[in-house]
Amino acid sequence: MAKIKFTLNHKKLEVEVDPSRRLLDFIREDMHLSGTKEGCGEGSCGACVVLMDGYSVNSCLIPMANVEGHEIITIDEFKNTKEFEVLYAAFSEEGGSQCGFCTPGMIIASQSLLSHNPHPSEEEIRAGLAGNLCRCTGYQAIIQAVKLASEIGGNLWDKK
Amino acid sequence: MGQKIIARTLSEAIEALAKYDCNIVAGGSDIMLQKRNTAGELPRFEKDVLFIANIEELHKEYVDEEGLHIGATMTLEEILRHELTPNVLKDCLKELASVNIRHFATLPGNIANASPAGDTIVVDILLDAKLKLTSIRGVRYVSAEDFVQGVRKIDLAKDELIEEIIFPKYDFDKLIWFKVGSRKAESISKLAFAAAYKLDGEKIASIRLAFGSVFMKAIRSHELEKELEGMSLKELGSRVEEFTEKYGKVISPIDDQRSTKSYRLEVTKNIVRDFLTTLAKGGN
Ligand SMILES: Cc1cc2nc3c(=O)[nH]c(=O)nc-3n(C[C@H](O)[C@H](O)[C@H](O)COP(=O)(O)OP(=O)(O)OC[C@H]3O[C@@H](n4cnc5c(N)ncnc54)[C@H](O)[C@@H]3O)c2cc1C
Ligand code: FES
Ligand code: FES
Repeated sequence: MAKIKFTLNHKKLEVEVDPSRRLLDFIREDMHLSGTKEGCGEGSCGACVVLMDGYSVNSCLIPMANVEGHEIITIDEFKNTKEFEVLYAAFSEEGGSQCGFCTPGMIIASQSLLSHNPHPSEEEIRAGLAGNLCRCTGYQAIIQAVKLASEIGGNLWDKK
Repeated sequence: MGQKIIARTLSEAIEALAKYDCNIVAGGSDIMLQKRNTAGELPRFEKDVLFIANIEELHKEYVDEEGLHIGATMTLEEILRHELTPNVLKDCLKELASVNIRHFATLPGNIANASPAGDTIVVDILLDAKLKLTSIRGVRYVSAEDFVQGVRKIDLAKDELIEEIIFPKYDFDKLIWFKVGSRKAESISKLAFAAAYKLDGEKIASIRLAFGSVFMKAIRSHELEKELEGMSLKELGSRVEEFTEKYGKVISPIDDQRSTKSYRLEVTKNIVRDFLTTLAKGGN
């Protein structure tokens, strides 16, 4: 066990936890934040993606030791933002979500992309979401949704 | 057993390595997967564990007279975005895993993992990269080519840490990275190819070809490169088939679930043939 200090959804935490525990298990089981999903558990589907200092990372492969000093945002907090509202509207409009299992990860990956590249090309959107799998929509609707979000968001994602 | 240490400085890390028998965890994208347990349970580490991702002093990329240095805790995406990173390494990183993974995976992790399909190793051996290995006993340097000895076999003592990777200065007209995979992102390479050359008028001044995923480790043939060096492009044009066959013998493809031997051999030969044919016409 070790003491790990970090910020989770804007709350400063100091937790006593095994440093090898997966961030995903900490989020879902210890914090009961169930918006973050486990799909493959192997880094390849993106369902477990959270923001670490604003960048999308696979929480199924990140040990708690590695979040020390960092800021983690999960979908359960991100859903209270303006950026989420825009992404949600765009995903609804384009039919970018069907069963919804991949959606939290898709939204987080989209936020990571848009916050570093507010007006991505289609190719850049594809690359930005390449680590997120969806079994339902066939991707085109998701790509369209991110494009739409970047348009209706105006300067929402432009660096402040 | 059972020690789990979070190092914040290089000296804390090498002291822990000297004292305990550790698995090193950098980003964790390989090792957390290897030690995977059922959901909710701790990963199954059989040794002590040393976490190095928090070592801030190794989080840097810089150039000096020796060349370009990339520290052990730089993430692949940071390296990809860094202005000092050579384009050939950027081209390789762009196609490695996915952006999510690249946000925390590292370069030493990719090398030390020593998978025959490790992409960055191909670029490392192309550029004659060396690794700085640090322990409480001191520092030693080893070339990337010698460091990887075979599938998951590396030249790393129990108490050593890869502190950084060093790319010496080089002088080429052109550098190429090429990967044949099955899906755009996350395609673990079926085959990776990197090459570099410099022309001196109508002659080959220097040339390097490196292959990944075809052999138990990434390889170059120094003998064939020597044969090619100094050769006129005209002569090369008439000997493309000969060298394609020679390269076919150098690489000895492996069968795995991703691809078959004969497929890899044919693809490799096609790539070599195309590359040499284009070069014989003056390149580009
Ligand atoms: C979905 C997915 C897709 C992938 N796609 C690709 C791909 O296309 N191409 C590719 O090449 N790889 C791919 N990988 C593999 C992986 O992402 C890379 O090998 C990564 O670079 C490893 O870095 P890490 O920091 O996460 O390593 P870790 O998992 O932390 O460590 C890997 C190994 O290196 C050792 N190690 C790490 N750092 C050091 C150090 N400083 N000194 C000594 N030993 C060290 C560890 O002990 C361990 O044995 C993929 C992985 C996943 C999960
Ligand atoms: S559950 Fe983490 S990537 Fe699939
Ligand atoms: S909406 Fe079902 S997996 Fe994407």
